[in-house]
Amino acid sequence: MEQEKFYYDNKIVKMFAYATIIWGLIAMLVGVLAATQIAFPWWNFNLAYTTFGRVRPLHTNAAIFAFVGNGIFTGVYYSLQRLLKARMFNDVLSKIHFWGWQLIIVAATVTLLAGITTSKEYAELEWPIDIAITIIWVVFGWNMFGTILKRRTSHIYVAIWFYIATFVTVAVLHIVNSFELPVSFFKSYSVYAGVQDALVQWWYGHNAVAFFLTTPYLGLMYYFIPKAANRPVYSYRLSIIHFWSLIFLYIWAGPHHLLYSSLPNWAQSLGTVFSIMLIAPSWGGMINGLLTLRGAWDKVRDSAVLKFMVVAVTAYGMSTFEGPMLSLKNINALSHFTDWTIAHVHVGTLGWNGFLTFGMLYWLIPKLFKTEIFSKKLANTHFWIGTLGILFYVIPMYWGGLTQSLMWKEFTPDGFLKYPNFLETVTQIVPMYHMRLLGGLLYFTGVLFMIYNLFKTTVKGTFTANEEAFAPALEKFNPKREKGEGFHRWLERKPVQFLILALIAILIGGAVEIIPTFLIKSNVPTIESVKPYTPLELIGRDIYIREGCYNCHSQMVRPFRSETERYGEYSKAGEFVYDHPFQWGSKRTGPDLAREGVVTGKNYKPDSWHYNHMFNPRKVSPQSIMPAYPWIIKNDMDIDNLRGKIRAMQKLGVPYEKGYEDIAYRDLMKQADKIANGLNDNGIQVNDNKEIIALIAYLQRLGTDISKTE
Amino acid sequence: MEENNINQDEIKKEHEIDELTNDRFIANHEYDGIRELDNDLPGWWKWLFYISIIFAVVYIVRYHILKTGDLQEAEYSKEMAVAKEKMPAQSDESALARLEDETNLIAGKAIFDKNCVVCHLSKGEGLVGPNLTDEYWIHGGSFKNIYATIRDGVPVKGMISWKSQLKPEEIQQVSSYIMSLQGTNPPNAKAPQGEKYVP
Repeated sequence: MEQEKFYYDNKIVKMFAYATIIWGLIAMLVGVLAATQIAFPWWNFNLAYTTFGRVRPLHTNAAIFAFVGNGIFTGVYYSLQRLLKARMFNDVLSKIHFWGWQLIIVAATVTLLAGITTSKEYAELEWPIDIAITIIWVVFGWNMFGTILKRRTSHIYVAIWFYIATFVTVAVLHIVNSFELPVSFFKSYSVYAGVQDALVQWWYGHNAVAFFLTTPYLGLMYYFIPKAANRPVYSYRLSIIHFWSLIFLYIWAGPHHLLYSSLPNWAQSLGTVFSIMLIAPSWGGMINGLLTLRGAWDKVRDSAVLKFMVVAVTAYGMSTFEGPMLSLKNINALSHFTDWTIAHVHVGTLGWNGFLTFGMLYWLIPKLFKTEIFSKKLANTHFWIGTLGILFYVIPMYWGGLTQSLMWKEFTPDGFLKYPNFLETVTQIVPMYHMRLLGGLLYFTGVLFMIYNLFKTTVKGTFTANEEAFAPALEKFNPKREKGEGFHRWLERKPVQFLILALIAILIGGAVEIIPTFLIKSNVPTIESVKPYTPLELIGRDIYIREGCYNCHSQMVRPFRSETERYGEYSKAGEFVYDHPFQWGSKRTGPDLAREGVVTGKNYKPDSWHYNHMFNPRKVSPQSIMPAYPWIIKNDMDIDNLRGKIRAMQKLGVPYEKGYEDIAYRDLMKQADKIANGLNDNGIQVNDNKEIIALIAYLQRLGTDISKTE
Repeated sequence: MEENNINQDEIKKEHEIDELTNDRFIANHEYDGIRELDNDLPGWWKWLFYISIIFAVVYIVRYHILKTGDLQEAEYSKEMAVAKEKMPAQSDESALARLEDETNLIAGKAIFDKNCVVCHLSKGEGLVGPNLTDEYWIHGGSFKNIYATIRDGVPVKGMISWKSQLKPEEIQQVSSYIMSLQGTNPPNAKAPQGEKYVP
């Protein structure tokens, strides 16, 4: 058979690898800053751009899309070419993909710190960037599929199955979750509201973990572990079964983020049972990774690359067991809204994603530069310091999460909450936040070692941008199934059919959960007394969103005695029908705010308290770890878009009467005057056009609609 | 590339065995030097999968078809009913009066420090809430007045009701402590509000 000569594009791999390292460094540094802010609130610097509510979304987005994202592309561009014996489809597309993705990350960094956000977790970027992401993602898919179609191998390997599923699912998730109505270039409202918005968001949020942090990395695992260990994959049959079961089942599990919320019970139950059914498919990946090393365990002792990979796969196994356990309602009742979730996530990201990336880079960079790693000893040191970092991170977070949860739920023999003051439960676990910071710093130090080591490796090696390779051209083959050829084996040489089947597999779960929630009215029973926000409250709500309050405050009282005693009546689905977007939150670093405005409620605070508290939380609660928001006191409200905002809400079905946009300003000023006058009476000099007035209006509205009927 | 030097003809052979594990290779499965073994799914893994599916079916049938399990609203009602049953009987509030012994005042101060300083500040000098150290009272300065203000609150002005957080005896202690602050003249005290109370 005649061998064709061609060249692998190593330059694009190198570029993505460097981007992975640089963004990894930044993402983790921002993570360290966020951890410092929780431990020592003055690290918020009293500056809008550096408060936790803006820093935390930057950390999550940078870690997921910049660090892991570039890690995916590094591994895919390297392995895809070699598994298919072909150069990437088009060098220009590769470059557009690379630079487009980096530009998106830069835009994300700037906009998130500027407070431009949709407030939907891991999808905070505003609509122009959402469009850019869609375009660049399509470029990636086009380039990948082009390469697959012009391949020189007959079949596609399991790693590529995972790449295909990743591409198609992330596209669907991103597009569906990003439906939003623009008000201006930097502001939009989610087209979904309340319960529906929450369901779509967590269908997205959960599957961002599944199809951005998991499936592409399983693909990388299937390439880099056998390569690094020079061992065959343990079981082809297991690959097939766990691949299809994983992608089919994963998509259903989103509602486990909304257990005990106002989401309909049937949807919650689907979230629980599909999470439980995910244990075996997830572990299928772990088994296939670890058992591939059978016969090569002696190599693991010496090789930092394999050590990183073994711990990565083990961390994957642990977090994919823990995840389903946290989806059981009785365990979720304990873990949800606490740092337990943060610990769980970081086992996955620091352990699975981080360590697999490091292992890949330690293997890949010497390969690209045709040399050995500069220092094996330093790589091993990185491994140990990184492992220690993970332990110092997650153990205090598990401990703190459980401690705080138990404190929230504890009653005295007299039937009162033992810790009615939320702050007590925070103060209790602040030492854990200090330990966590130490863990993060250790992990970060390890990355610095890696950068030095890899840099020295590149210096001593020589890089070949275009690596020569030979392979015979692909013979024309029978498109029909051949005699004795299994269905799956046939599918492996039909990538388009493969893509379509994967698409069908991932569409079913989402459709079954999302469509009825939108169409069947009983899922969100109407509450007559629930009315749209006033214009001032709407402006206040946009400030709440801008400052990322949802990062630390939930707006969802769960139906537990410990929560209704602490916060008031539990939340009902019908209360959120005008919430574009929903603000339920996922973590309570501070107390729930769903009933904040209820005057007869458990936590009611007068306007003047809010004013003082926003100006400096420590003035009213000395041990508070909340950032200060002096600029909200100082800034004028932005009402330029008021008319557009009301009109946008009308388009989304919020029943403001026709022509209301013309008189909204008058109503806004009336309400603002009243609040400002009340504050003036309490000795606080403030103008009625300041942001704080709108924010107070919003906070005092929260949860009040249903108490009117009581 | 040294790891690619597997002889092509050898791969084609059926039933080739991996030397290190004695497992059989699958013929013709080779991707950039990566080969695949013909191992079956581990038995325990299959059972794990079957059991999780059975769990799922039982769960859905129990909660949504037979409806024999409590969903969250029913769970909540039961939890509240049990709590109500366990609540100890309330003591007679009309018999409570001001306490002046040190033990009770220390206990009152502890309650004050924990719950009241947010609005009235640590010396009772007032911030959001009024100054508690002067002779002027918005809702009356007698023991009964103070007790009632704490128990029921003045929600519209931001004073919450404490009856769901403090026992009658605790409200008695903190009321007594507040009365003991009279005339302490802390620095930066808030200007008087309300009417002068003459006992």
